Amino acid sequence: MFDISWLLSLASHFPLDGMDMRFMQQALLALVLLAPMTAALGVQVVHYRMAFFSDAVGHSAFAGVAVGLLLGIHPHVSMPLFGLGVGLAIMFMQRYSALPSDTVIGVVFSAVVAGGLAVVSRDNTIARDLQQFLYGDILTMTEADLCWLILLFAAFLLFQLLAFNPLLYAGTSGIIARAHRIRVALCEYCFAALLALVVMFSVWGVGVLLVTALLIVPAACARNLAQTAGGMFWWAILVSLSSAVAGLALSVQPWMGTATGATIILVSCAWFLVSVLVSASRNENRL
Amino acid sequence: MEHDKTPAIVFDHVSVTRSGLNILDNVNATIPRGSWAVLIGPNGAGKTTLLLALLGEVNYRGRIELGGGKGLRIGYVPQKLNLDRGMPFTVAEFLAMGIQKRPLWLGISRSAREEAAHLLEMVHASHIMKRRVGTLSGGEMQRVLLALALQQKPELLVLDEPSAGVDFEGGRLFCELLEDLRATQGFTQIMVSHDLGMVAHHATCVICLKRRVVAQGAPQDVLTGPVLQSLFGMHMGLICAESHIHRAPTLAPFDPEAALPLTELRPLEQVRQECAEQEKHHV
Ligand SMILES: Nc1ncnc2c1ncn2[C@@H]1O[C@H](COP(=O)(O)OP(=O)(O)O)[C@@H](O)[C@H]1O
Ligand SMILES: [Mg+2]
Repeated sequence: MFDISWLLSLASHFPLDGMDMRFMQQALLALVLLAPMTAALGVQVVHYRMAFFSDAVGHSAFAGVAVGLLLGIHPHVSMPLFGLGVGLAIMFMQRYSALPSDTVIGVVFSAVVAGGLAVVSRDNTIARDLQQFLYGDILTMTEADLCWLILLFAAFLLFQLLAFNPLLYAGTSGIIARAHRIRVALCEYCFAALLALVVMFSVWGVGVLLVTALLIVPAACARNLAQTAGGMFWWAILVSLSSAVAGLALSVQPWMGTATGATIILVSCAWFLVSVLVSASRNENRL
Repeated sequence: MEHDKTPAIVFDHVSVTRSGLNILDNVNATIPRGSWAVLIGPNGAGKTTLLLALLGEVNYRGRIELGGGKGLRIGYVPQKLNLDRGMPFTVAEFLAMGIQKRPLWLGISRSAREEAAHLLEMVHASHIMKRRVGTLSGGEMQRVLLALALQQKPELLVLDEPSAGVDFEGGRLFCELLEDLRATQGFTQIMVSHDLGMVAHHATCVICLKRRVVAQGAPQDVLTGPVLQSLFGMHMGLICAESHIHRAPTLAPFDPEAALPLTELRPLEQVRQECAEQEKHHV
């Protein structure tokens, strides 16, 4: 799509064994792009109480792959598109249904998981892909995937520049925000779309099971460490980025040999313990 | 606000049905520009629903006309806010998020900070600028929400039970604040309140709501024994007198006109005596 070799050669200078290998450079680049996105969106997910939403979108990954294989579309295309569709559908149903939002999400959640399993059970050749989506594998990111990720990052940056304040307003109270002429619906749909896409890319990184952790844990740390909403944004990014890089570095050590996604989450959970201690020492612990 | 003679709000046969239940039934009411309108009525009377219909948050049949069809800039103060109390979010940021275009993660701009400080000054809460929103008391939060609404430079200020969860003194101060603001800013105001003493003292227009409009007009015409009886039921005499006791010391200079209907229920001298006695007990 476009040339990213200069970015990869930049990544190769990172002081870590094995960075001369292409897949390591790609993995590092992917993580450095993904981590700030999941962190910042995670702060908004916490504020908007949308953890279940992102979980449901994450679990639609498998159905997305299955549908792609049925229709002969490459999984790396069908999966994000399917997730985007699921995210927007949930948002739409939440707005126009009288049901509580977790009920709506629960129904969609069941539908996509059951759909995915149904397709898999018909066709055994898909089943071997299952593990990849459960645990994730950041090391299999292709260069084309990275190009898409860079585009997504640009969209993310634009969104955070234009919509951070309105989204905070709407998350504080939709009714006040609408009365005060904030374009709440537009903000929420854009947020849902962006979140769905980032979640789908994160499934490659850490797997279906851990996607929500990637969003929530840095935000939870930041909530303990920050004093302001702006500070929370930066703390979450710091925690997420450092966990991602440290997680990658640790996971490729011969003595570790663990899955990258799980290692990243473990590092961020260690961050969380630190943040709890910091918050407790500030004598404002609200555990 | 130009000297426009069209009413600020016209409710024209407004009905709301939810889950097959008639919550509002043919509500007709007119609120003139510049007035302080108060909705009173028992719990579940549909007061909040009427305000939400006004804001376009619930579907209704009939017509609600704002500013003669031209629409009005609205500032809204809700009854309460469901906040995540542990969230790091300062009062300065809370106000700046509606002022500045720059995202808050790039900091608060100087002009936004100045405007936020000015808004807090307007609601007499300058000291809480640096506090977290989650640590504010009910009365402080109410002021911050009012500041957020004032930031809209509203032509119509909508408040849902702003005195709920605030003590009598706090409620009184809040109403006096609103009185000053309305005088200087010239907005129309519609609010829900249960404090009949406050209504008698401040309101220019009272709407008694119980699924439909029971009565409307100036407080001295509306706050009569029979109306309150039909609105709130048997024990209204007592409640009314009680609110009067709490109010009496603050009604200075005493306004006999506004209080006339209330004194019908109890001789004024008796109420004053009781107040004096109560105060002795407190000392
Ligand atoms: N979403 C809803 N669905 C069904 N009934 C509702 C809903 N919201 C409010 N109601 C009912 O409408 C009536 C009026 O409610 P409300 O306007 O909140 O009363 P008030 O503010 O006067 O106390 C109540 O009986 C309440 O139970
Ligand atoms: Mg109410």
